[in-house]
Amino acid sequence: MALQASKSFTSRIFHNKKALWQYPGRLIKRCTSTEWDNLTERPKEKVTDMPPMSEPVKGLPKAIYSNYREDNQQTEVTTLSNGLKVASENRFGEFCTVGVIIDSGSRYEVAYPSGISHFLEKLAFNSTKYYPDRDEMINKLEKHGGICDSQASRDTFIYAASAYTTGLSDVIQLLAEATLRPQITPEEVDGARQAIRFEWETLLMRPEQETLLMDMIHSAAYRDNTLGLPKLCPPQNLDKIDRDTLFTFLSQHYTPQRMVVAGVGVEHNRLVDAVQKFFVDVKPLWEMEPVSSRKLCTGIDKSIAQYTGGMEQEECDIPQFASAGLPVLSHIMIGLEGCSHQDNDFIAMCVLNMMMGGGGSFSAGGPGKGMYTRLYTNVLNRYHWMYSATAYNHAYSDTGLFCIHASAPPNHVRDMVEVIVKELVNMAGQVGEQELRRAKTQLQSMLLMNLESRPVMFEDIGRQVLATGHRKRPEYFIKEIEKINKDDIIQVAKRLLMSQPSVAARGDLRKMPSLEYIQAGLIDVEGKMPSGRKLSLWR
Amino acid sequence: MASLLKLSQSVAKLSKNTNLSKVLRKASTAAEPKQVSVNVPPTKVTTLNNGIRVATEDWGSQTATVGIWIDAGSRYENSQNNGVAHFMEHMAFKGTGKRTQGQLEIEIEDLGAQLNAYTSREQTVYYSKCLSKDVPKAIEILSDIVQNAKLGEAEIERERGVILREMQEVESNLQEVVFDHLHAIAYQGTPLANTILGPTANIRSINATDLRNYLDNHYKSSRVVVAGAGGVCHEDLVKLAEANLGKLNNNYSGEIPKLSPCRFTGSEIRVRDDSLPLAHIAIAVEGAGWSDPDTLTLMVASTLLGAWDRSQASAKQNATNLARASGEEDLCHSYQSFNTCYKDTGLWGIYFVSDPLKIEDMVFNIQEEFIRLCTSVTEGEVERAKALLTANTLLQLDTSTAVCEDIGRQILCYGRRLPPHELTHRINSITARNVRDVCYKYLYDRCPAIAAVGPVEQLPDYNRIRSAMYWIRV
Repeated sequence: MALQASKSFTSRIFHNKKALWQYPGRLIKRCTSTEWDNLTERPKEKVTDMPPMSEPVKGLPKAIYSNYREDNQQTEVTTLSNGLKVASENRFGEFCTVGVIIDSGSRYEVAYPSGISHFLEKLAFNSTKYYPDRDEMINKLEKHGGICDSQASRDTFIYAASAYTTGLSDVIQLLAEATLRPQITPEEVDGARQAIRFEWETLLMRPEQETLLMDMIHSAAYRDNTLGLPKLCPPQNLDKIDRDTLFTFLSQHYTPQRMVVAGVGVEHNRLVDAVQKFFVDVKPLWEMEPVSSRKLCTGIDKSIAQYTGGMEQEECDIPQFASAGLPVLSHIMIGLEGCSHQDNDFIAMCVLNMMMGGGGSFSAGGPGKGMYTRLYTNVLNRYHWMYSATAYNHAYSDTGLFCIHASAPPNHVRDMVEVIVKELVNMAGQVGEQELRRAKTQLQSMLLMNLESRPVMFEDIGRQVLATGHRKRPEYFIKEIEKINKDDIIQVAKRLLMSQPSVAARGDLRKMPSLEYIQAGLIDVEGKMPSGRKLSLWR
Repeated sequence: MASLLKLSQSVAKLSKNTNLSKVLRKASTAAEPKQVSVNVPPTKVTTLNNGIRVATEDWGSQTATVGIWIDAGSRYENSQNNGVAHFMEHMAFKGTGKRTQGQLEIEIEDLGAQLNAYTSREQTVYYSKCLSKDVPKAIEILSDIVQNAKLGEAEIERERGVILREMQEVESNLQEVVFDHLHAIAYQGTPLANTILGPTANIRSINATDLRNYLDNHYKSSRVVVAGAGGVCHEDLVKLAEANLGKLNNNYSGEIPKLSPCRFTGSEIRVRDDSLPLAHIAIAVEGAGWSDPDTLTLMVASTLLGAWDRSQASAKQNATNLARASGEEDLCHSYQSFNTCYKDTGLWGIYFVSDPLKIEDMVFNIQEEFIRLCTSVTEGEVERAKALLTANTLLQLDTSTAVCEDIGRQILCYGRRLPPHELTHRINSITARNVRDVCYKYLYDRCPAIAAVGPVEQLPDYNRIRSAMYWIRV
């Protein structure tokens, strides 16, 4: 009946529209190359039987809206019989984000050819035991308005999907299939290999360098161990990785104790039931297949990350769209050993990161992006040749890496290194009342703003529960951030400066100083390099 | 916790989808009688005495986005003052009668808030994301910069350099370059052909009088929408808007600016540059305007073509015909369908990036798909595209900023916010027959506009492409 009502209404609109057609100037002429215009008869009548979007469709049922208040929310956590944890928080809206977070990733690949996780990322949501035809699986997800994605990082692997809350059970089944029962056919492995090859090609063709530099600085900071292993599959490993290797890795790492299923916008009980049904009651594929097909069983790399420090550089051409008149840049990243996210200094480290801030010397966006952070006021605003300077704080379960990424034209590489070293040393110097207050407020508001998004909240719940078994609420962090004072900042800065530097650099590096110079600069109270410029003449 | 504080956006890409419009919201099936429950808060709209519309969706959360949407943009400019709308947006951040640029910046930074603005061809937007308790402050600041910008000579001079630098940035993004070219030819001789930034000569010459004239003629109360989402109470926002923007009026000093219709011209531009590694090409036909009932169907058609890029191992969720062909035959590095809407017109088509020697194959496949859409698209595909379109648009409304943006744009474009169940109803009513009809109307035997940048020697001649827009046997 809703449809009929709208029909009578639309015919009226149609009528009006016809008048519009005859009224030149109101509606635009279709195609101006008139020669072509008469080849095919134009259907002049209205083809979509609906009123314009600006007018309501008549006869629709009355909507009852939710009266939602975002108060008193709780994160519920349940541990199932096999050790798998389920965590969720309810929310308004018709959509939920659910997913699996696994204690896996490139840091565990020491006994394997590097790149396993990269392959698994590309292989996610392919054919599975119960969905030999992957299209069938995706169609099912789409029926619930869903989309899915996978992401590998150094220490976690995530499979996630967003869909209508009503489709929860099917979505959990799909996630369970993708996580525990992927077929990984030779064709699919080939496809993943190809996709990684393309990704490399694209990475080397783009001016952005963050992805490559991040791999390099981790490799310098944790030489040949855990977090230092590459996240991007090295090209020479592409042909070494096959189904057997992948399955061996999966069977070792994708165990229930290392997994959390998290959800946002779902009822906890329904989630637990579905997870029990598809993650616990049905076995993983590697438990169904005979073990003999696997080459080696190496166990899990339980070693704690060893921070070594060091330098990793690559002399190369960095692409730039010359036609736009932008200069070619060289990129550096200088890192220091930070702290784990369970460390007492973690919050202070985050505040320090916020205080350093930074970004591009030219970037879109108005106030609020950290225009008065130190890397802006002391670096980007002062040295016109600096193109970007940004602080990052990576925290893992057993260690952390605090680093600054900067870029400048090749002839300023040495100056750039000096400026960044000086800023790093300065962190242990004076802390202004106002800059600290600002950094704390910005960190607090950033936290709340990020959590608006369901996928971000999902990841937060999952990562926290995976690391500690429960989730601390944002209110807790807000309070903790509030407690940070100047001494805390200076103390963590001193802690950072005790470590050996890790350095990564790409581009034209003829003016790049050696690691010893950087080390010497970091020891100096003013962050000055030893007799700096004179020596550079001879390099 | 690590992820919490790291600004981790990894999984956030789940909810992103670029080119689909943001119009949709979903309720359960609309055919149910009388009542339907919608699990989102309602959008409340109030019109102030001076004509400003205030619209909110209140979640009662701790953060909020509020903003001012203005029905003004580069489309209202002519060749002499093209770029002035964008210039004005820049000047808004350069200090007002009340506060200097530095004071403004520090005020925002100290709140932990963000202040942002953008200019498009038809809209100018200023918005702020902040803690809910700071909404009054945010509205006061937004109102101040929109109404009382100082437009000092020195600041204007300084900003010229910044805008020219921004122009370099735009020019290094080949996708933007291609779309600017596409507008320039598709709407040649009309204001929509102009770029948003304006030509260099204008950026060098625009002065305080130009800016002032622009302000006086376009920042008018009936063309302004104040939108809010997240922790925003409607009644409070109405009061705030009244207090801060109550003085805006609808009195024009000169002639009331007229919005002339923009004519679409089928044509092409080739910017051949063999030094670039890849060809960047857009092919478009004239689509429908924002409020045209055909718009949603065109969006379904656009979703049906999908998007793809090489790093997706097996075309993860966009196993559309064209994605499959692209992957299997290595036709391109990436492609995406687009449906850019304006008030009375739109550009509907495909943008792709490919190897120089694959252009012809790619264009052939695209045109095959065009014709298939007009003649033989199947019920199954359409159902799939409808579900995807609904999901993508809904998933996008995940943050207060996205919702606020949706409210502001819809109030400007439709004069209302589409209730979620109406949108579902509209999408559900689309059939394969309707998609074929609509595509026949907009695509079949139409003159396309083509913009190509890079090593584009292999791009077929215009008349050949034009003659593949129809099949003689149909």
